[in-house]
Amino acid sequence: MKLEHRIEALLLAADEPLSVERLRGLLGEVGAAEIHTAIAELDAHYTERGIRLTQVSGGWQFRTAPECRDQVHRLWQTRPPKLSRSMLETLAIIAYRQPATRAEIEDLRGVSVSSSILAGLQERGWIKVLGRKEVPGRPHLYGTGKAFLVDFGLSSLSALPEIAQLMDEEESFTADEQDNTPEQQETTQAPEDAEQTRQEA
Amino acid sequence: MSAVLETNAVPPLPETPPGRDALPPVRLDAFEGPLDVLLHLIREQKMNIFDIHMASLTSQYLDLLEAQHEMNLEVAGDYLVMASTLMQLKSRLLLPRPELDEAGEEIDPRAELVAQLLAYEQYRMAAEELNERSLVGRDVFMRSVFPEADEVERPLPEADLDALLVAFRQVLKRVGGKVRHQVFMDTMSVREQMGFVLERLKKGGVQLDELLADQPGREPLVTTILAILELWRQRTLTVVQTDCYGSISLVPAEAAD
Repeated sequence: MKLEHRIEALLLAADEPLSVERLRGLLGEVGAAEIHTAIAELDAHYTERGIRLTQVSGGWQFRTAPECRDQVHRLWQTRPPKLSRSMLETLAIIAYRQPATRAEIEDLRGVSVSSSILAGLQERGWIKVLGRKEVPGRPHLYGTGKAFLVDFGLSSLSALPEIAQLMDEEESFTADEQDNTPEQQETTQAPEDAEQTRQEA
Repeated sequence: MSAVLETNAVPPLPETPPGRDALPPVRLDAFEGPLDVLLHLIREQKMNIFDIHMASLTSQYLDLLEAQHEMNLEVAGDYLVMASTLMQLKSRLLLPRPELDEAGEEIDPRAELVAQLLAYEQYRMAAEELNERSLVGRDVFMRSVFPEADEVERPLPEADLDALLVAFRQVLKRVGGKVRHQVFMDTMSVREQMGFVLERLKKGGVQLDELLADQPGREPLVTTILAILELWRQRTLTVVQTDCYGSISLVPAEAAD
């Protein structure tokens, strides 16, 4: 039996992403490099199929292709859940700035963040309380949970697109604006530094 | 004079304040807050975000607020705070001000607002980016049935305080708030303890410290004190303290007489 086939069987039978280390443990005398090669072959094989091999949260998992979502929803008689913008923006801020307090999220969004949004994100396991910030009121510090990586198909937090890159795509149409960008970013940083100083004090 | 300063703030581009009726009707509930509205207005009018025309932006923003028939009080607050910020900025631009700071950099009263808008825009884009990803349960699915075999050792889920909280919330939801307060019987009775105190008193007076030293834990301590007070009330014993902060002794009532 080819290694590729054995890995394929394990990934199908597992109910969670399997890491290369886990696969090594299950397959016995096999090197990590061989597993990587086999996974790359499987990955290539599945690019044009209704099932895809996806790297999530440090492991590999078979998932249905996004193009087939309507068929699956018909099978399960479900409707694709819609995420509100307030939920997504709150999640994005927590994902990029973690650990972040509710007040910091509110400052960035310019609106108050309702408890139901935070509770909703917590219930999905996308965010969790990491601790408390040692400032008056000891507010909760939020960060992302493991389900965030799994559900959004991210291999790790560093796989999040860089925020500055998102900016550049949008802002590159005028040279004048680009000249100003570094200066503006400094201004954006300033409140954060002040926060740190307060924390240290 | 004010007109001159205002012209300084306007870029050389042909950016005359746009007509008010050029704005399509907008409903605020389509927005995520004042920053979202401002970004919309700025992009709509093709203004340069680093050189915002405060007068026209402020009037457009205020028009938009006025056009709302109803506004949730909590939401309204955020929008009104921004309205006052805009008006303050507008007036600061009209007044003469120091053009350069100590470092020789040009001072722009709008810089803080611009930084806030740019930061928000970043996260707004990051949120869109997240929403475009293939999301489990919405766009992609995986097999989720695990064979139920006894001999298969299923790893315990990683639990932390957060998981506990979520689980507890779900349990509360399921019982629908029908959690009753349960009262437990006292394991010690005051009556019993009164007997104990009387027993000790038979040998004459006893020091309070001495009596309490034999009572480990909060419950025995409280019960003993209650027993002493009850006996005192019944005039079975008397409590004597000769000097301030001095030791307290308990004596049988007959002996004190």
